[in-house]
Amino acid sequence: MSDLIVLPLVLPLFGAFLLPIVMRTSISIGAWIGPAILAYGCWILGDQWMSGTALPFSLAIGGFAPPMGINLYIDSLALLFAFAVQLLGLLFWPFKIDQETARRQALMLLLVAASTGLALSGDLFNLYVFYELVAVATFGLIAASGSSAAYASTIRYLILSGIGSVLTLLGIALIYSQTGTLNLAHLAQLAPEQLNNKLGLTAFLTILIGVGVKAELFPVNTWAPEVYATAASRVSAFLAGLVSKLALLIILRLLVLIFHQPEAVQVMLVLGILGVITGELAAWRAKDVRRMLAFSSIGQLGMIFIALAIPEQGGLLAVLALTFHHLLIKSGLFMLADGWGGAIEKLRGAAKRSPLAAAIFVLFSLSLIGMPPLPGFWAKFTLITQLAAQTSPLYLIGLTVFLLATVIEAAYLFRLAALLYGPAAEDTPIDTIPKPAGLSLATASLFGIGLLAAALFIAPVGDLLNHVAGQAANADLYINTVLAGTGGSQ
Amino acid sequence: MMPVLSLELILYTTALGLISIGLAGVVLSRHLFRMVLALVIAEAGANLMLVLAGYRWDAVAPILTTLGEHPPMVDPVPQAMVLTAIVIGVGIQALAVSILIRIRQRYGTLDRSQVAERMDAEIADSAGIPRDVSQESPLGERPLPSLPDSTVEIRGGHS
Amino acid sequence: MTLTPLDELLLFSGVTVLVAMLLGRRLPAGWMVTILYGIQLLALMKMAPLGYGGEAISSALTFKVMGQTLSWRFDALSWYFALITLGSALLSSWYACGEWEQRFRQSGGNLWLFHFAMTLNVFSMLILLASGDLLSLFIGWELVSWAGFLLMAMAGGVATKAAMRYITYAMAGAMAIFGGIALVYVSAGSLQYEAILTAASQMSTAHLWMLVILFGAGFGIKMGLMPFHLWQAPAYAETPGPGSAFLGAISSRMGLFAILLVLVKLFGIVNIDSLKIPFTLIDARDLLAWIAVFTIIFPTFTAMKQNDARQLLAWHGIGQGGYMLLGLVVADAMGAAGGLLHVFNHATYQAALFMAVTAVIHRTGTADLNKLGGLVVRMPLTFMVLLVGIIGLAGLPPMNGFVSKWLVYRSLLNEGMPLLFVAAVIGTLGTILSVYKLIHNIFLGQLRVEHDKVKEAPWSMMIPMLILAAIIFITGLLPGIPLAWVASVQQAVGLPVPDYTLGGVESASGSLDMIWVIGVLFAGFGIGALIFYFAGGRSKRVHQLDNYAGGHFLTADVRYQYSDNFYAGLMHLIGGWYRGSFLWLEQSVKSLVEFLSLGMQGLYRRANAEFYLLSTALFVIAWVVI
Repeated sequence: MSDLIVLPLVLPLFGAFLLPIVMRTSISIGAWIGPAILAYGCWILGDQWMSGTALPFSLAIGGFAPPMGINLYIDSLALLFAFAVQLLGLLFWPFKIDQETARRQALMLLLVAASTGLALSGDLFNLYVFYELVAVATFGLIAASGSSAAYASTIRYLILSGIGSVLTLLGIALIYSQTGTLNLAHLAQLAPEQLNNKLGLTAFLTILIGVGVKAELFPVNTWAPEVYATAASRVSAFLAGLVSKLALLIILRLLVLIFHQPEAVQVMLVLGILGVITGELAAWRAKDVRRMLAFSSIGQLGMIFIALAIPEQGGLLAVLALTFHHLLIKSGLFMLADGWGGAIEKLRGAAKRSPLAAAIFVLFSLSLIGMPPLPGFWAKFTLITQLAAQTSPLYLIGLTVFLLATVIEAAYLFRLAALLYGPAAEDTPIDTIPKPAGLSLATASLFGIGLLAAALFIAPVGDLLNHVAGQAANADLYINTVLAGTGGSQ
Repeated sequence: MMPVLSLELILYTTALGLISIGLAGVVLSRHLFRMVLALVIAEAGANLMLVLAGYRWDAVAPILTTLGEHPPMVDPVPQAMVLTAIVIGVGIQALAVSILIRIRQRYGTLDRSQVAERMDAEIADSAGIPRDVSQESPLGERPLPSLPDSTVEIRGGHS
Repeated sequence: MTLTPLDELLLFSGVTVLVAMLLGRRLPAGWMVTILYGIQLLALMKMAPLGYGGEAISSALTFKVMGQTLSWRFDALSWYFALITLGSALLSSWYACGEWEQRFRQSGGNLWLFHFAMTLNVFSMLILLASGDLLSLFIGWELVSWAGFLLMAMAGGVATKAAMRYITYAMAGAMAIFGGIALVYVSAGSLQYEAILTAASQMSTAHLWMLVILFGAGFGIKMGLMPFHLWQAPAYAETPGPGSAFLGAISSRMGLFAILLVLVKLFGIVNIDSLKIPFTLIDARDLLAWIAVFTIIFPTFTAMKQNDARQLLAWHGIGQGGYMLLGLVVADAMGAAGGLLHVFNHATYQAALFMAVTAVIHRTGTADLNKLGGLVVRMPLTFMVLLVGIIGLAGLPPMNGFVSKWLVYRSLLNEGMPLLFVAAVIGTLGTILSVYKLIHNIFLGQLRVEHDKVKEAPWSMMIPMLILAAIIFITGLLPGIPLAWVASVQQAVGLPVPDYTLGGVESASGSLDMIWVIGVLFAGFGIGALIFYFAGGRSKRVHQLDNYAGGHFLTADVRYQYSDNFYAGLMHLIGGWYRGSFLWLEQSVKSLVEFLSLGMQGLYRRANAEFYLLSTALFVIAWVVI
């Protein structure tokens, strides 16, 4: 049963290669391949969750047991992320049929496969490979929107991300030269003796900054506003919503398992604070919706980095709550930006044109600001109580910045909401006001419903996240699961 | 005893040097293609570093020719990894170059700041907003609020 | 699970929101909602023992979320504020039914949204008042903030701008409270009141200071305390008429409620008293008292300069909040009673005044004090209501405002705070001057030609106004009625309780018996009347224009009413003091954010990203490793 877990990883990869060939013969058959694979992936992962197989478990690939062979590590967190990848892949599936369809859909499958790999992989080098695959697919998808600006932003992103991978590779090399292994569990075992030194710290920092490119870590996030402004909304939604979180997942695993130095955490805290400040302030003045969302997403990820810097299970809970909340909200908002993407000024009176979209926007904004009883409030509440409990003054600075940033966030989000519900400009007839496309609006509504459901069932959701956080925070569990009792395959 | 300038040290220095040269190249060049090339150099450095991480000087290539006794072997894992990294790197470089060709076709230039400028202009255009940050004109509006009238009077009028 | 009376109240309130939401587009929605407010008030009356020292009532509903327990309960404090909330909601909603509603709809207003926002406001306020721990307090607080935003923003245009300003202030306040809650949680380990009560007695001075500042600022923003007062007047004034009557009556008092609950009850005013500011002679309590006094003085004198009747009233609303806080921070039996009583009194006359002004707007179409005058002959009842209201606002006998202000003054003198007393009196002076401007410019003097055909306000609007006027007078005559509730509130939050009687208070340092005061007052009037009638009682009615000025006979088309640049002489003396400093401060903060934002955008858009990346990497590694 649990062997099937490789399918959500392998099938999309396979499909990505197959799709262009099938598309050449029959577009109508080809168009169904991707959604079918993703739906199947969702089903397998959902089934895995429901079937109550004891989590976590480790799955060795290729017949060698870890640490010699490579393995997949599946705990609740990984499963949750993998499921989110498949589901969002399905929701953001590029349905549009034109000459580029085959390429776009193949890239999307590749992105899903690589992202699933990122979520499940238990080996540092595999993580790197999947990370690069994600990058390649991302570049293709951004550039696929076809405008010159998209090409320009892609190459700028590509170069930045290229430096990031060089740094990551350097960090991996440093770790390998010190320990001779790249299996996370094995590293976790060796770390207290071999990596608890300056070399280990350097390795972590290079990896942090390298991977941080995708996680929108300050200051290697300058690509975000231009990429989100030029890419198709669906791609932006996937990137801002999910890919950034997967990069975070890598950092989270490294932090929990391997690097316990206080300096590592401090650096992240400082960079997170700076990210919040710069992102939210820049968003305050943004004049178009996409860039506003991009800056706001930088700020939000800064908040998650602040949470990540709390070295306890409570901090991890805050990270997860903020992460999944932001995943829902930002994906939904980018879906609305499909159609509302232009200048903010043009959206005057848009609520009359599309009341549902405006209502969803207000809902998302309220949750983002942290209005109780929406889930955003609970996420923020978890974070601030954790921050206040820390003794180092740096955390209190983080708390202050976080609170001030929320005020700014409220100001710019509700400036837009007031425009939406205000009167239309005099010279624009009501049907020239932009309106989100039907499919995107439906997707955004789905996210809205998800948000409301989470608000209603906040108690079980909170318990679930706490459980997931507890599992993810337990390094010993990870080591024991991977290194003990797993044969060639389970 | 003379300090020995061992081959290992030289190689490590080379790897780090390649990385530094590459990264410096990315930062300093103004031409996008040069930046991609610099990236290639940096990647080569990182790969060398990875190979060195697993290399053993007194060992042979990890190819089993005979069964039974065999001399100490070089760790094969980093080499496999480097192969993968190289493949990925080449793929990305090819993608980069193909994108560069497109940019060159559309914008007619590969100068980094010009491309950035034109991209910004295009984003602003398609969104329908005025460009407020430009290299030619001073930044934005006047940052400070006007003084209240009473203060203006005290300070000698509006002139 | 059995429903307690509190659950019933909240249930009815929730039903009211639903009714307004689902049936609000139909015409009789206003009446339905009004009746539902009445039912809520009845449900509240079921809990009336709370107002006379009864046991607190808990809600059967509790939640456990993320390791926190949420609960709701009503005690004397909540009951007292809920009474004012529901009373003003009932009367404002009643006032809105009928003619006002029709006019509002005809002029393009969204009536559904109005009723919905009103019911939502009431519901969220009840939730806030019922909070049983700090977390449910915060939830209620945020709900109240956003519901208020909805009501303020709904008129569009200027109102939306004012509401945006409000919500920015409110968010800043909410975040201060949020931060405070986090700190409390860490030191008390729980957000239940009992745990906080025990933790508060052991907190270090620095910690307590921090919390007093955070909570004081957060709640103070809602109250419109200096220097956070700028948002309030425009926001309240631009809300549709009955809405501003409701908001003006109770909305900012939620801040006072929270201050009472958290600063007075949980942290203990005695603890706050012990917080000294280094190198000065004042402590945290003095600081609060002086903030209260400045909140009285500045907004009151700002009100004097307003030319829009609603703005004038709204600015007074801020100033009157200062009296309440002043009484509470003096915190002896009389002062606290005065401050609390003033909440009730202020709600009654402020609602009456806003209603009267809205009635004038309804009939004449303007609230501009330079475009009105002489309406007393056309709208005598409205004039009466406004007169009763401003006497209350100015704090003169025989209306209820006198009692509460007298108590506050008395306690300032008793406690030996003469400077504060003088400052408060200066505030009252400003109040009297500006309310005279209000009544003079609207009702006295020359009737304008265009208002010749104006009629008295319709009965649907008149009745609530008259009820309020009656309440203002009766509670002025018999302040013992509300003082009983106030006394149980004082008991509930742990403040000393004065000896009250039906007519006032008894105290060794000076008693007040309004029955006597008013008796003497009316006896004086009576004697005057007797003398007048015995002397012949001659009087002659003349037409307003049967008169002359400067040797010329008057005609209706020449304006001789002196309303523009009112108090020119006074302004010559104090005009230089109006510097707009707070406005300038606010603008500066905004500009600072704008400026920083510009810089950050530049950082992201003009930057050599690769350079950042590398320099950060090197810097971080160097900083940490070396």
